Amino acid sequence: MRINDVIVIGGGLAGLTAAITAAGRGKRVTLMTSGAGTLAIGGGTIDLLGYLENNTLVTTPRAGLRQLPPEHPYNKVGSQIVEEAVQFFLTMCQEEGFAYTGGLDHVQWLPTAIGSVKPSCLVPLTMDSTPIQTASQVVVVGFKRLKDYFPELISKGLGNIPGFQKEYEEVMIDPGFTGGRDVTTLDIARWLDTIQGQQVCRKQLAKQVKPGSAVIIPPVLGSRPSYVVRDTLERMLACKFVEAVIMPTAVTGLRLRAMLLQRAKRLGVTIMEQAHVAYAVQEGKQVTAVVTGNIDRERSYSAKTVILATGGFFGGGIIAEHNGISEPIFNLPVTAPAEREEWGTRQLFANAAQPFAKIGIQVDDGLRPVNAAGQVLIENVYVVGRNLAGYDHCLEKSGNGVALVSGYKAGLNC
Amino acid sequence: MQTTVVVIGGGATGVGILRDLSMRGIKTILVEQRDLAYGTSSRFHGLLHSGGRYAVKDSESAKECIEENTILRKVARYAVEETEGLFVRLPEDDKQFEVSWVAACVKVGIPAIPVTPAEAKRLEPQLTDRIGSAYRVPDSAIDGFRLVWQNVVSARQYGGEVMTYTEVTAIEHINSKVVGVKVRNTLTGQTNLIACDYIVNAAGSWVGHVAQLAGADVHVKPDRGVLVAFNHRFTSRIVNRLRPAADGDIFVPHGSITIFGTTSSPAERPDDTIPRTAEVEALLKIGQPLFENIYNYRILRVFAGTRPLYSADPNAAGRAASRNFTIIDHEQDGLQGMATIVGGKLTTYRLMAEKMADKVCAKLGVVAACRTAVEPMIAEAAAADIATAKRFFPAYSVNSAVSRLGGKLSEVVKDMEDNPAKRQLLCECEMVTLAEVEAMAADPTSYTLEDVRRKTRIGMGTCQGAFCGFRGVGVAVANELIPAQEAPTFIKDFLEARWNGIRPVLWGNQLREAELMRGIYGASLNIDGAVNYENK
Repeated sequence: MRINDVIVIGGGLAGLTAAITAAGRGKRVTLMTSGAGTLAIGGGTIDLLGYLENNTLVTTPRAGLRQLPPEHPYNKVGSQIVEEAVQFFLTMCQEEGFAYTGGLDHVQWLPTAIGSVKPSCLVPLTMDSTPIQTASQVVVVGFKRLKDYFPELISKGLGNIPGFQKEYEEVMIDPGFTGGRDVTTLDIARWLDTIQGQQVCRKQLAKQVKPGSAVIIPPVLGSRPSYVVRDTLERMLACKFVEAVIMPTAVTGLRLRAMLLQRAKRLGVTIMEQAHVAYAVQEGKQVTAVVTGNIDRERSYSAKTVILATGGFFGGGIIAEHNGISEPIFNLPVTAPAEREEWGTRQLFANAAQPFAKIGIQVDDGLRPVNAAGQVLIENVYVVGRNLAGYDHCLEKSGNGVALVSGYKAGLNC
Repeated sequence: MQTTVVVIGGGATGVGILRDLSMRGIKTILVEQRDLAYGTSSRFHGLLHSGGRYAVKDSESAKECIEENTILRKVARYAVEETEGLFVRLPEDDKQFEVSWVAACVKVGIPAIPVTPAEAKRLEPQLTDRIGSAYRVPDSAIDGFRLVWQNVVSARQYGGEVMTYTEVTAIEHINSKVVGVKVRNTLTGQTNLIACDYIVNAAGSWVGHVAQLAGADVHVKPDRGVLVAFNHRFTSRIVNRLRPAADGDIFVPHGSITIFGTTSSPAERPDDTIPRTAEVEALLKIGQPLFENIYNYRILRVFAGTRPLYSADPNAAGRAASRNFTIIDHEQDGLQGMATIVGGKLTTYRLMAEKMADKVCAKLGVVAACRTAVEPMIAEAAAADIATAKRFFPAYSVNSAVSRLGGKLSEVVKDMEDNPAKRQLLCECEMVTLAEVEAMAADPTSYTLEDVRRKTRIGMGTCQGAFCGFRGVGVAVANELIPAQEAPTFIKDFLEARWNGIRPVLWGNQLREAELMRGIYGASLNIDGAVNYENK
């Protein structure tokens, strides 16, 4: 039987980052996944911190970090780790040939499908929005029959936002897909992976896109973690593309996930798919093994360290029933408001934190689970990503940021 | 503006009166302060009573129910699903009540067919094993939105008109005789005077407010009923608990969901319709003896409505108050040309409309017979249209599309035939196509995505708007129905309305859905930021 130094439970951004960090430090790592995390939903941008809990905008992510309450995950790990994690991520992307841009000293404003802009931090080169602000002509591109994307929402919405107030033109591209089924961004991205697709797209765009223009496009510039499609089209048209943030499926997240998996495999991480971890074996305050319970039998895997990256409510890492709330693998305590009605505020989008969004597992500065008195419950388990208590990623725009930073920190701990 | 009759209130009663009067050739305009069926007509369990529930206590109501049930299954067939119902007695329920109930059903004329517990269990396998006795009755499921909408579609063919988002601000009268109503569009602020000879106040839980404008007192006690919508159909028949009417004893299957209710408690206001977690917990506890797995069923959302209970006896309240209806002629208050209709229940809405229309005709000196009991609301769907629809709709959604589209089937199917892109499913949970949404969005009564939802069912399935909310607004913008700049607000309002029903039941998969919804619109699309910009 393989002896693991580290078992990571959960294959989203937090779990993958933890696995890569630990494996990069020479550890033998097994990553158990059951599902694929939320990268394909939320996208491949690392939103680190855009708003504070009182809904004020941060001037820079770095400045914002200094204004967070002590229980925030970023404060648990400390600003030094945040800085390191950002550098770690940027270096990794560079090495994998899929460089990201951005940093802690400025906010990246990204155009979205509803015509808003959203603050982010580290973004793929295809999403850098600077060209929109500098180009003389901006064209918003749509694709005929593409579901969940309306160019006019973007052009009319952006036109209202300071820094983005300019004339927008709209162009519809017909990829010529036949048949009755819905067309998704992934279909178009795969079409643009082909030389024929690139040619058709270039031909239709060339009529309206002048050299030097910025072109806002849904995330369709190739399905893989590479800039070949973007570079080819930009060269042909002498323009700059900016991919917008859209409804799921987010191809930008699929690209990042593919890059991370490629990295993890290269570092020797063993990846087990469809591994449903049922429970863990403990001796005192140490976990010795985790047990998967698939339909045929249970199987035990030993490890020196376990990283819990199971994704909170959405990932199934925390389960709320009508009469209780639990963490199903280690039975860790989960803190939540006593009355169910206090879990949500009157409005879902109220420019304020949602109590349910801040529900999670309490940890110490090393990300180990603690009880209400602050005592460590299990010494060799680290909790990462959305399982953590004390931050509202939707309000703050900090989801992938906390996943990256906590995953990195947990990987260092191993 | 000028008309003969103004009907106030766009619920089942109001649209029923509009249709009835229009069919009798009387020019009628209906005004509604919000959207059609915004009030109690869409906030109930959707049960077309067989009368069984009232048989013992109120034989008059029960008789009306079985008669109207029989009529509506024919004339409103596209709003009714003939599921049939079961009355189930559990061992702990009073056996003597069963005896009186059987006798009362015979007396009233409700066919109640006894079935063995084993047969009942075979018909409804999710029911408890602890069945004492069971009866089959002709209960049916009725869709309140559709019923109201199809009344309007039919009324328009006879010249009836509807103005939504139009509130009545004053009743105009000269020499104690009604001459018109002053109205105000709540969205545009535009005011209007509609001159008329007669006013019918059919404002449901709001009748008291309207009567006050005429200086009359109508004491209505809004009575809250809370309901739970589960996201699947765990019973194919309506299931009633065979015992004196109480909370939490009715389960009604609708399309792909099941609605369970209800409660009865005094409401502070007619729009006191946000359920509380404690009410839901109490309901589930009461429902568990009939369906033991109830806690494992996924709750989609919860909602509440207020019954407009009226009683001349000011002390009667809740279930003690009569479910009968009353027509009040305001001549008794010294005002000619206005009546209020109040009380009753959805099952008898047509009868209420008939009686009210009879009265209006008598007042106006019009001699014309009521035809609503015999003339179907929506003409039979053409076989050719259904055959064409089968090519474009997912197979199992053809029937529901035919039913919800009512008179617009032909138009929508033609659109889908001509434009393949219009076949796109905009709402994947309820299988509503782009063509349908565009057709309904184009109706003059559609101002918001919520209005389109009530006509099409978009956003009423498992995702609760997480995906179709964006799509619906996108389509509306693309068709220039709403300005693009306001899209974030339209999306937000739509999602907030769904949230009202999710917040009290934040557990299980619905909590996961809430995280997803907020992840998409909050984290990814920054809808808060967008709405803030819009407002600046």
